Amino acid sequence: MRKTVSLLLVLVLLFAAAFTGCAPKQEPAAPPEAGGDAPEETPKAEPLKVGFVYIGSANDGGYTQAHDEGRVYLEEQLGDKVVTMFKEGVPESSECEKVINDLIDQGCTVIFTNSFGHMDYTEKAAQAHPDVKFYHCSGYKSGPNFSNYFGAMEEARYLAGIVAGLRTQNNNLGYVAAFEIPEVVRGINAFTLGAQSVNPNVKVKVNWTHTWYDPAKEKEAAKALLDAGCDVLTQHQDTTATQQAAEEKGVWAIGYDLDTRDSAPNAYLTAPIWNWGKFYAAEVKRIIDGNWKQENYYGNMKDGLVDLAPLTDNVAPGTQEAVDKAKAKIIDGSFYVFQGPIKDQTGAVRVPEGSKMTFDEIMSVDWFVQGVEGKIK
Amino acid sequence: MIMENNYISMKNINKSFGKVVANRNVNLSVSQGEIHALLGENGSGKSTLMNMLSGVYTPDSGSIFIKGEEVQFAAPKDAIKAGIGMIYQHFKLIDVLTAKENIILGQKNSFFLNEKALSEKIREMTVRFGLDIDPDKKVYNMSVGEKQTLEILKVLYRGAEILILDEPTAVLTPQETEKLFKIMRKMKEEGCAVIFITHKMNEVMEVADRITVLRKGETVKTVEKSATNPKHLAELMMGCPVDLSIKRIETEKSKVAIEVRNLSAVNVEGVEVLKGMNFEIYSGEILGVAGIAGSGQKELCEAIVGLHPVKQGEIIFNGENLVGKSPAEIITKGISLSFIPEDRLGMGLVASMDIVNNVVLKLYQKQKGIFINRKPAEQKSMEIIERLSIQTPGIKHPVRMLSGGNIQKVLLGRELDSKPQVLITAYPVRGLDVNSCYTIYDLLNEEKQKGVAVLYIGEDLDVLLELCDRIMVICAGEITGIVDARDTTKETIGLMMTGAVNLNREGEKSEYDNANYN
Amino acid sequence: MIMPITIRAIKKSEPGRMKAALIRIGAMILALAASSLFILLLRLNPIDVYLKMVQGAFGTAYRVKETIVKTIPLVITSLGIGIAFKMQFWNIGGEGQIAMGAFAASYFALYMNDMPKPVLLLVMILASMLAGGLWALIPAFFKAQWGTNETIVTLMMNYIALKWVMFLQYGPWRDPNSLGFPKIANFPENAVLPKLLGVHIGWVFALILVVAVYIFINHTKKGYEIAVIGESINTARYAGINIKKTILIAIMLRGGLCGLVGMIQASAVNYTLSVEITGGVGYTAIITAWLAALSAPLILIVSFLFAALLEGGSYIQTVFGIPQSAAEILQGLILFFVLGSEFFVRYKFVFAIKHPTTAGKGAS
Repeated sequence: MRKTVSLLLVLVLLFAAAFTGCAPKQEPAAPPEAGGDAPEETPKAEPLKVGFVYIGSANDGGYTQAHDEGRVYLEEQLGDKVVTMFKEGVPESSECEKVINDLIDQGCTVIFTNSFGHMDYTEKAAQAHPDVKFYHCSGYKSGPNFSNYFGAMEEARYLAGIVAGLRTQNNNLGYVAAFEIPEVVRGINAFTLGAQSVNPNVKVKVNWTHTWYDPAKEKEAAKALLDAGCDVLTQHQDTTATQQAAEEKGVWAIGYDLDTRDSAPNAYLTAPIWNWGKFYAAEVKRIIDGNWKQENYYGNMKDGLVDLAPLTDNVAPGTQEAVDKAKAKIIDGSFYVFQGPIKDQTGAVRVPEGSKMTFDEIMSVDWFVQGVEGKIK
Repeated sequence: MIMENNYISMKNINKSFGKVVANRNVNLSVSQGEIHALLGENGSGKSTLMNMLSGVYTPDSGSIFIKGEEVQFAAPKDAIKAGIGMIYQHFKLIDVLTAKENIILGQKNSFFLNEKALSEKIREMTVRFGLDIDPDKKVYNMSVGEKQTLEILKVLYRGAEILILDEPTAVLTPQETEKLFKIMRKMKEEGCAVIFITHKMNEVMEVADRITVLRKGETVKTVEKSATNPKHLAELMMGCPVDLSIKRIETEKSKVAIEVRNLSAVNVEGVEVLKGMNFEIYSGEILGVAGIAGSGQKELCEAIVGLHPVKQGEIIFNGENLVGKSPAEIITKGISLSFIPEDRLGMGLVASMDIVNNVVLKLYQKQKGIFINRKPAEQKSMEIIERLSIQTPGIKHPVRMLSGGNIQKVLLGRELDSKPQVLITAYPVRGLDVNSCYTIYDLLNEEKQKGVAVLYIGEDLDVLLELCDRIMVICAGEITGIVDARDTTKETIGLMMTGAVNLNREGEKSEYDNANYN
Repeated sequence: MIMPITIRAIKKSEPGRMKAALIRIGAMILALAASSLFILLLRLNPIDVYLKMVQGAFGTAYRVKETIVKTIPLVITSLGIGIAFKMQFWNIGGEGQIAMGAFAASYFALYMNDMPKPVLLLVMILASMLAGGLWALIPAFFKAQWGTNETIVTLMMNYIALKWVMFLQYGPWRDPNSLGFPKIANFPENAVLPKLLGVHIGWVFALILVVAVYIFINHTKKGYEIAVIGESINTARYAGINIKKTILIAIMLRGGLCGLVGMIQASAVNYTLSVEITGGVGYTAIITAWLAALSAPLILIVSFLFAALLEGGSYIQTVFGIPQSAAEILQGLILFFVLGSEFFVRYKFVFAIKHPTTAGKGAS
């Protein structure tokens, strides 16, 4: 016993030493030791260290993988001017703030966080580290060194809706959705409007999972929709579980985030996808070149940030033409997804003929359009 | 080396546990058709030696021969294969199964049982060895004696020809002991060898053919029964002359220390376990309690110290009714209970704790404040070790690592140390060697002399008769008589134990054929 | 000729101190060797990885602080678990007790926060300990009254507690400003525990509690009674200990400590209540409590080392770009050997070679 007590005292002293040792030290960015394979001789500038915080696994076959492909693209484009590092599986809790701090401790001066729930923690970290530049994906907050970035996925969702509306045989579409937040609601509305544009009788059944990333839960939710009679499924989830459920049942599915046609060869129709690489490369290059300024970004199909993956052979005849037509109108600005007339679930007109939803309105949308079967909250 | 005449032969066996030498050059030979007693004090190495014969331990050196052939036992199952069966003090039976199911348990026979053949074989064996057992009775319904018989049947069924009994009589009533001896003699007639571990001289003299005495891990001598007597054996065991008589110190009968009036209690199942008991214990007397195991001894002890709920009646101590008071209150008033259960530990001592922590168990509640002070307990532990000559490496030694007798001394020593006015002690010599028994009788006498009222619950009627002033006999929770120990006989007490005689209900004597030895 | 060898595990009567130390060191070496193989499979240099793990846990002042932040909940929860296990109350309800403690603290932080900071924090601490204690009391009461299995009941109650927090997070307590995202609002500034020397003040609580629990277990009557009950209920009964009362007190204490962990994590680390508040500490602490043999000072050391293992494992993920799962496999391997060595410390193996003529050999 005596021995353990003395050990305890030693430990207390160690703690104290650690604290006093650290108190005055205010390390500037980029301490020399961090990094796996720091180049030995770099007479030029030190490479910029960029940290990515991922909600899911870097090869989840979906949302996070799309971001990670963007990260790889960034490295390819900027070569030895950047070093990137990432931490996967970071929950939407204080763990996120800790991971950001870890990355900064390892020398990162640019941080990207990729999930809605990371927002508050990113903001907190941004306030604590004014010299680090923060980017948060899919949120709405920002600050002097803290930008948000996202894109008009509703445009690609609308096109996906067209594909589904033409494909369905019983007019029942299923939508596996994560959380009742505007981002997801927006996507469901756009998908429904797209489907209704080619098939006015479609219904879209929504099933909530309350998780971004949980293959088992996602699959369960998809199966429930299949049991309810849906013959085309899509999802706002990070994995391909929904497509696999459709494949097993022998019906159709539309993916999300990435083109993952191989995951369900017989069911797969297409997917609304992200191309993050261009944005990441451009943004980091601006920082390296000294042209950075705080700016929120909302990319669209015209920019190439969002797109619809090439259609597979599983689509209904005539789909390509319908998609091409709508896509052209979206890109040239002659059509806007959320333009009137739009009715909500009660049949009340929310957007009258001739008017459009504003950006703020679509950013905070909390109602479903007519034809959606599901509830928010 | 081949010993033609000997069934079992153990040659120059050595076994140490760490620094403790348990057996040193021990020799033992047992012949066919012989009851061989292994006699020795606790810690003399009897159990270790037998554990080597039954494959639990491996000797450090030395050889074991069975029917002239040298054997190496790596595990108990090797010994079973060689025909050796050991009956432990703690029965290895499954309570919820029947006798028959316990017998076939763990046997490697075909998946489907041939019930009929099995029952036939069991019946045949019970007749052959004179075992009285109902194969379909559940173990939890059995008395201790029945369980032991079942254990014997179990090892015989598995083909044992050499039977080792480890202190088998420690838990038996006189009647059950008689029965066991009958079985042992029958086995001898059937050509088995029986090894009988004990430290009770009278039993040895009654049943054994030859006796091997062990002392401090070494063989002292092997003697023929006809060539010895109890006093001689005791001397061999102790290594010095001993006095085998129990003293009864005469004291002046003074005031009543505790009075029990019309005490009744029921157990969890609602069965009445104490039925209207009336008695008193005087200061400076030892009141013995005799009765068949399970007649309410434990409930009586527990009721007095508040551990068992009382249905009705009063327990008057110093003019105060103790019924309804908490055990802690009663203990601090000066009533002490030391109950030695069959496994010795578990009712009074904490096995894994050291002596100090066990001694402090009866001290700390009197201390003030929330903190515990172990200093006085350290002092007391030292005193207790000294006074009762407890063999231990130190006061910080876990109680579990001590031998049985020393464990009991720690418990009794602690209870005596609390200077009680009433000392309730149940089975204090259970499983103890002769020397320790006498130490404890002396201690009880000392307490009596100091004016303590002692309630002594015992198993051995001879001891009760010699030690106690009065003997209270109970049968099925009822007092069947309180007699003066000086002018009564074992037989009278035996009859009262079975309820055949009830002095408390003169005129309505029970029938003799109601006698029930279960 | 093949000789039949039998191997038996025998419980050691008393493990020698030197031997135990040697076994533990051996286990560490084996753990490093086994994980080296795994690291080589990932085409990395094992030495490099180990050095980085140490750096990740202690390399900079920041990392030491982070390791300490991870240590705090482990220490306090392990202390609580230690008290219950000492009594042989096999309570695995740490998760639920932490969650309920956090819940109670959060109620005051969110809805009764117009108090001065020290008062509010004190109220939160008391509320969390009370909530955790009461939550632990339910299975203890069932056990004392009807002899239910506390392991099952506490496990089930973990789910109830976590689902309750989830319900609040998705329903009544959802932050109206979160645009529908299931998140409870962050605590106001006066509900956040202050920092001392760069780490939130929970470390002071942890150190005080280590000393307090040590004294409680070893030098108070209740602590002694708990140990007696744990070893033998009958002995406790015969000694006149009020068993039910003591069990309930010990379990209240244990739940209270876990509840306090919930408050600390919600207030100082998470700044709000969420289903992720426990972070699995309720289960991890069972390992640390066992490894520390339920001794309070050892719990402090083991928890710190454990936290270092977690931090180091997290660090190598970003440095080497290896997947999270690979880093967790490494942690698991090391843990496996350390836990496994405890078996060898407590048991010895007897190899007996059956041979017709020579004397039997005993080797350990």
